Amino acid sequence: MSFPLRIILFGLLSSTFAPMLAAQSSAPASQLTFNRDVAPIVFRSCSTCHRPGEAAPFSLLNYSDVKKHARQIADVVRSRAMPPWLPEPQELKFADELRLSDADINRILTWVEQGAAEGAPADLPPAPKFVQGWRLGQPDLVLKAEKPFILPPEGTDTYWNFIFRLPIQETKWVKAVEIRPGDKQYVHHANILVDRAHASRQRETEPGAGFGGMEIRIESQAFDPDSHLLFWKPGTIPYVEPEGMALRLDKGTDLVLNTHLQPSGKPEVIQPSIGLYFTDHPATKLPMLLQLENDLKLDIPPGQKDFLVTDDFTLPVDVDLMAIYPHAHYLGKDIRAQATLPDGTKKMLIYIPQWNLNWQAVYRYAEPVLLPRGTVISLLYSYDNSDANPMNPNHPPLRVNGGNRSTDEMCHLWLQVLPVNFDAANGDPRMALQEALARHNVEKNPADFEAHYNLGAMLQARGNLDAALAEYEAAVKLRPEDATGNNALGAALVEGGRPAQAVSYLQAALKARADYFDAHYNLGFALAQQNDFAAAVDQFQTALRLQPQDAAVEANLGAALAEMGRYADARVHFQHALLLDPAQPIAKENLEALKEMNPR
Amino acid sequence: MRRRKFSITLMWMGTVLAVLCGLATAQQALDLDGHAVNPFAAASGKPVVLIFLRRDCPVSGRYAPVVQKISREYADRASFWLVYPDRTDNPQDIRKSVADYGYQLPVLRDPEHALVKLSRVQITPEVAVFDGDRRLIYDGRIDDWYIDLSRARPAPTAHELRDAINAAAARTTLAHKEVRGVGCYISDVE
Repeated sequence: MSFPLRIILFGLLSSTFAPMLAAQSSAPASQLTFNRDVAPIVFRSCSTCHRPGEAAPFSLLNYSDVKKHARQIADVVRSRAMPPWLPEPQELKFADELRLSDADINRILTWVEQGAAEGAPADLPPAPKFVQGWRLGQPDLVLKAEKPFILPPEGTDTYWNFIFRLPIQETKWVKAVEIRPGDKQYVHHANILVDRAHASRQRETEPGAGFGGMEIRIESQAFDPDSHLLFWKPGTIPYVEPEGMALRLDKGTDLVLNTHLQPSGKPEVIQPSIGLYFTDHPATKLPMLLQLENDLKLDIPPGQKDFLVTDDFTLPVDVDLMAIYPHAHYLGKDIRAQATLPDGTKKMLIYIPQWNLNWQAVYRYAEPVLLPRGTVISLLYSYDNSDANPMNPNHPPLRVNGGNRSTDEMCHLWLQVLPVNFDAANGDPRMALQEALARHNVEKNPADFEAHYNLGAMLQARGNLDAALAEYEAAVKLRPEDATGNNALGAALVEGGRPAQAVSYLQAALKARADYFDAHYNLGFALAQQNDFAAAVDQFQTALRLQPQDAAVEANLGAALAEMGRYADARVHFQHALLLDPAQPIAKENLEALKEMNPR
Repeated sequence: MRRRKFSITLMWMGTVLAVLCGLATAQQALDLDGHAVNPFAAASGKPVVLIFLRRDCPVSGRYAPVVQKISREYADRASFWLVYPDRTDNPQDIRKSVADYGYQLPVLRDPEHALVKLSRVQITPEVAVFDGDRRLIYDGRIDDWYIDLSRARPAPTAHELRDAINAAAARTTLAHKEVRGVGCYISDVE
């Protein structure tokens, strides 16, 4: 050996003395042991994730596992980095709280300081038992991502979306969803979004390939608000919906799994599965997701340490608050939501003093929280865009605005609420909630295109067409070249019996997006209503090329051809429409009419 | 008095030397075939970089691409070794891990922590950089990517390993000779 002599001596001395130190501290009366004092905490609060096949990077199932990470465990429980649980304790309790008590933390710290002794075998509690495989038993339907995503070995956090095309032939009611995100060690969290209109498919380069992106938006055709927070994070136990609640899935619905992945240092194959558990009982209680947000206020100057953003929404109906899901990106610092009841009582709904995007989660309340009509729900988020925030994506800091990229910022709060104490005769209380929220957003940001658009859609769904048109017009005025806005305004004008006025907006929509199925369809409709059947046929044919499986387009194309006297062509399209959907009413009726005209 | 003190000193020195000789083989690092290897002998005067890893440490894993990038970049100027200090690790498991991460660097096991002590490292991943005279000029983290075990910066802002290799090659000294890393304690596997 030819190491420098000084250091060799250092090494020898430390190895000579180490056993002596250990001997001195051996088993005094107050010595804590793994078997008696620490194993109960580890088995309860660590082993669920720290075991083979689960999310944590190493197992903590027995003394030798825990001993190998003893000082590391001391560090992470002291800082409360583990178990991962961001909210501070509060009056309104959450279900499945992972927070360790101060006593538990002290016990672990003392045990490590005392040398991490094993203790007497008789003191060891029984090893925790875990359900292998699907936690709730074999699901009624298991879907596996068609193609895996290869997570690159390096780089920052990655967001990947998998589309699951549901193979169901009829409407199903789901009481539980288990997300198996593939190799759980690399999946930080995952979220399922229900895509009833295939809005996400156009983002795939080929069917089944999936697509990248941290935040995804899903457009919907009708009033069908999201109702469930389908969320997975390490250690999640699948949530079984309470009595009367279930998630509706129709034939043709897509589920989009949004995953947050963290590179491991080597390439990883990520191919998630989801398991669906059905119930025969359709939902009788219909919750919805309320979103408070204020992204437009996010214009955070570089260096700003405490940039406060708020939003206050007054509930128009009584609700039971079931769950809460705060969301910000890397500048988020202090995240709170509180409720001010009509009598002035304030209740903290959630308080996260040190936000960490990596451990974002849906928090369900142990008991539903009744919030009466007139309650103000307030979001108060502060952001740190200084160099003192080590998670700052920019070094040195830059001005940061709201947006979908991980380097943009977000200010969202989702609340799962169930309207209660309402009179069903006044219509769906969720509509009142959604309209109030849309109105609130327009008042908050009068120059926000989306706010006007959403309020327009809501008013249209509630049958208030004139008010809807005014909102769509406001939206189009804000973004004269927006495809979605022009299409919505055009469609509303058609619905209101003003097809001549609709045409220019629908043409504007197509100028912005030539392959916009809805706009071709609506323009075909508007032209047909003005008896310009040849032009209508053109539009329907283009729409059909974009969505060859759409029975309504086939039926309308047939009708326009029939109006032009091209009965043989019309018949083919009616028959096609009925192949796609045997109940297609226009095709059925017109085919009958053709038979009467020309009985053969 | 004088003679007595002198003789005691001699005896003490003798004891140390005896122990030193007795442990010389037991305290050497081993390659994956079990042969004793001295990473300094092969360096022929170049700086030596020892990179300490634990197979069960996720932070060690995430640093693999960083370590490979730096070791490729500095291949001419320093000699790099991966060092696995967990004495319960067997060579096959280490071999598999090294292959999984695609490492192209020579690998040492350090079951007796000879290199750990020499390098003064405490955490995985940490590195020790020795200059051409085998003087330890830096021990500690690779860079400041990780803030703690649950938070990492989007990208590191301080690059201690690169700075240390540059200093070793230029035979200059560093302002910070030791900066502790974030990861898994080596003492937990003693």
